[in-house]
Amino acid sequence: MSKQAKENYAAAAAGAFFEGRDAFLRAALESVSAQFALDAVSFYEYEEKTGLLRLKHRHSSGVSFEHEEDLRPAPGSAAARAMETLEPAVSKGPGGSYLCSPFRFDYCDPAGGRGVIPCFGLFRLERAPRKRGFTPSEAAKADAWLKSFLRDYYKAEFFSLNRKYDKNVAAITELTEVFATALRVRDSFKHILSGIQTYFGFDRVRLYLIDEKNRKLKGELSADIRGQIKSISYEEIPLEAGAHRFADIVLGRSSGAFMERYKDCVLYMPLSVQGVTIGLLIVDNLLSQQRIEPQELAMLKSFGGQIALAVDNARLFDKVEELSLYDELTKLPLRRYFNQRFQEEFYRAERFKQPLALIWADIDYFKEVNDTYGHQIGDKVLKEAGRVILSNLRKIDFPCRYGGDEILILLPQATGMEAQRLAQRLSQELTELRIPVPFSKTRELRVTMSIGISTFPQDASTMDSLLEKADDALYWVKSHGRARIALYSDVAEERKKAETNAGGTDVPAK
Amino acid sequence: MKIWLLSDYDHRKHLAFKSLLARFSAAFPDANVEFSVKSRRSLWESLFGHLRDPKRNPLADVIEIPQNWTELLSRLGLVADLSPRVEPLAHKRFPEFILKELCRNDEARAFSAPWWLEAPALFYRPQALKSAVEDPEKELATWDGFRAALDRLGAPSRRRGAHALSVPGSSGSVSVADVLPRVWGRRGGLFSDDFNRATFTREETAGGIEDWLELAVSGKIELFSPDRFENGPRPAEECACIISSRKLGGRSGLKMLPYPGYPSGGGLMLVHNLSVSASSQDPDGAAAFVAWALEHRNLSLFTESFGVFPCLKPVFEERLREERESGVYKRLFSAPELKPNIMVYPTAELLLERALWNLSMKIARKDYDREDLTRELIMAQGEADYLLSLY
Repeated sequence: MSKQAKENYAAAAAGAFFEGRDAFLRAALESVSAQFALDAVSFYEYEEKTGLLRLKHRHSSGVSFEHEEDLRPAPGSAAARAMETLEPAVSKGPGGSYLCSPFRFDYCDPAGGRGVIPCFGLFRLERAPRKRGFTPSEAAKADAWLKSFLRDYYKAEFFSLNRKYDKNVAAITELTEVFATALRVRDSFKHILSGIQTYFGFDRVRLYLIDEKNRKLKGELSADIRGQIKSISYEEIPLEAGAHRFADIVLGRSSGAFMERYKDCVLYMPLSVQGVTIGLLIVDNLLSQQRIEPQELAMLKSFGGQIALAVDNARLFDKVEELSLYDELTKLPLRRYFNQRFQEEFYRAERFKQPLALIWADIDYFKEVNDTYGHQIGDKVLKEAGRVILSNLRKIDFPCRYGGDEILILLPQATGMEAQRLAQRLSQELTELRIPVPFSKTRELRVTMSIGISTFPQDASTMDSLLEKADDALYWVKSHGRARIALYSDVAEERKKAETNAGGTDVPAK
Repeated sequence: MKIWLLSDYDHRKHLAFKSLLARFSAAFPDANVEFSVKSRRSLWESLFGHLRDPKRNPLADVIEIPQNWTELLSRLGLVADLSPRVEPLAHKRFPEFILKELCRNDEARAFSAPWWLEAPALFYRPQALKSAVEDPEKELATWDGFRAALDRLGAPSRRRGAHALSVPGSSGSVSVADVLPRVWGRRGGLFSDDFNRATFTREETAGGIEDWLELAVSGKIELFSPDRFENGPRPAEECACIISSRKLGGRSGLKMLPYPGYPSGGGLMLVHNLSVSASSQDPDGAAAFVAWALEHRNLSLFTESFGVFPCLKPVFEERLREERESGVYKRLFSAPELKPNIMVYPTAELLLERALWNLSMKIARKDYDREDLTRELIMAQGEADYLLSLY
């Protein structure tokens, strides 16, 4: 080999370790082509299972390119001889002169696998028909040159596998942390799915949880290859044998031949905690149809227990949070949760210059109900009030049991008129309610509500002031006979009139 | 600027692109451009590799893609909208049938620019067919006529000039590219008209695939041919018929006919586009290159070099006028059909590719049965339907 070619090759080889196997191969093909005055050179991998030589790279007329072509060497041909003996073989035909330089080496799986990874194939060096063929000494020289290249190729392959191994070790450490922190963060499922996507990068990850009460497998979340997470709560699968393959998997039934076909690019992982299946995690590469590496599958499976535990803990966490944020009786959010949402909605209204209405409602004579009929009936009243409110609100509205019988409803993007219409509907439905009262002469109880409404920005420019104005309107209703609805703007107008009539000396009652 | 070019069985394409780049570098000496040629599989892997780990797997700035990958790549956020940056796209200076498919879902935007197209056709040597076919135009117009002619031409032998049929674009096994023209010829397709379900097992689709497989079963085409490995691509003079999407007319006394089975004209067109990566550091420069490649002279020289048609309307029409076989091409382009540019289509092709690979192996081992085709298509269709439900 000339000094220049050696230098070229050394430079190419050194660089290729950083750019991957393909760049390495490309540099080597270009280099051997120049060194031995070739018209073309190709790199084939041999697949022992099928007996096919699979073209991967080719360099011809000064251009290197990847290409795919699967060919079977004819028995007794130079290529077949080379593959059998692992010695170079030359041939000449109408298409030109050829030299087949075979290689084979096995190396240990750096990830600790028991088997060896084989690397088997050949280089095919070509010269045009009008050019000289390959002499035995030239063939030996080219073969030796390629063998020296292969030693570096081996290293490149090994380093590439080693990099994968390093990545896996890092993933193990970081995923453990991800699953552990899933306990402490809001949107825990999201956190778990993001963690899986960050380290494995599947086309899609989906999480389904078992709803024992309704015997259903319910979709929770799905994360795609770009990391975008969306709800799949619209997916509900009856948990019955034969209803759906997901149900069959969760129920531990046979997955069939169709599923066998999927096994390289889909993993169905039932999630179990202490022997009880709580859900199903599905990861797939269906869109790309790329094989999920066995090591990745093994690693994800080994995380199965941790994922199941994290999912279960997240579910418990949500349950605890729900208990601390929602009133069990009315199913309405509690004051603490309301304060947080109120702040968010208020900022949003301010920023986007949108209206925001606040309803402050109070069940009339609630204390008397409790004193007369007992707390059980009082609870029934509250429960019914909560049901009526929840069934009448838009998705963006936010109600809250503020304390006792006081209920607040936040209505983003609603004007005073719109809030008034809703309040009328609520008031109407509540008035139509008949609460059965056993052991009482009346047999049934009717309730009414007093409602005060304030709006941003019309009535108030701050959160405190908006609350204060709604309370003010409610107070006005209470002091004017109850079971009515008042907009703060109307109350203020009326007071102004009253003040004018009284000569402006009266202090408004509160 | 980095460019990824799709690998082609015809090396002339790579050389033509090399010349194109040389002209670009001469015109813009400050531009630092390099290109690499990627196989479809490798390009697909690189695109998904980028989605999984963008830092480790950067994309090239300009990427050649089959047109019907555009919808998928744009939905995955991999390619940029070119319509504001590439003048022919902004002014829709492409044949209507190309634009219709490219902008199927969004007429205002285009995420790739049509570059070149090819149309599979049948080439034959009148001399070689003399004893087997009386009226080639008539007899070779239908699949049955073509098939009968191949039978009369006899089994392949190593004797020069004795090969009945050659398919230069073959990758060894039967591939989707091989079977689709016949599937289309039978009025089949991979999806229902509303794209709500896969139709691999539909009579027309399965029949089209079976027609082509039958050529392999009967030995009319050789799978995994050792001959190609030993001697390189078969010279045109040795073949009576050639199915090719590249122009071969004028060479070796070959004459051209539409792909058998399209008696009323028309046929499947394969369109290749240039796209600009959405993560390119120099999107303006990349788009400028695309616009430059689409300039009349550049496009004309590039496409002429490897016997394909340019996509830009004026150049396309000019080429059609000047074409020696313009009559045949006019018939081909009279009712052109393109592969649907929908999100799931590229994956559906991969599923079918896998089924065809399994069948090719069975044929090569002389272990093939019609049932195998049905089973493979049912499996692949099930997977495609499942994908449709997901995406």
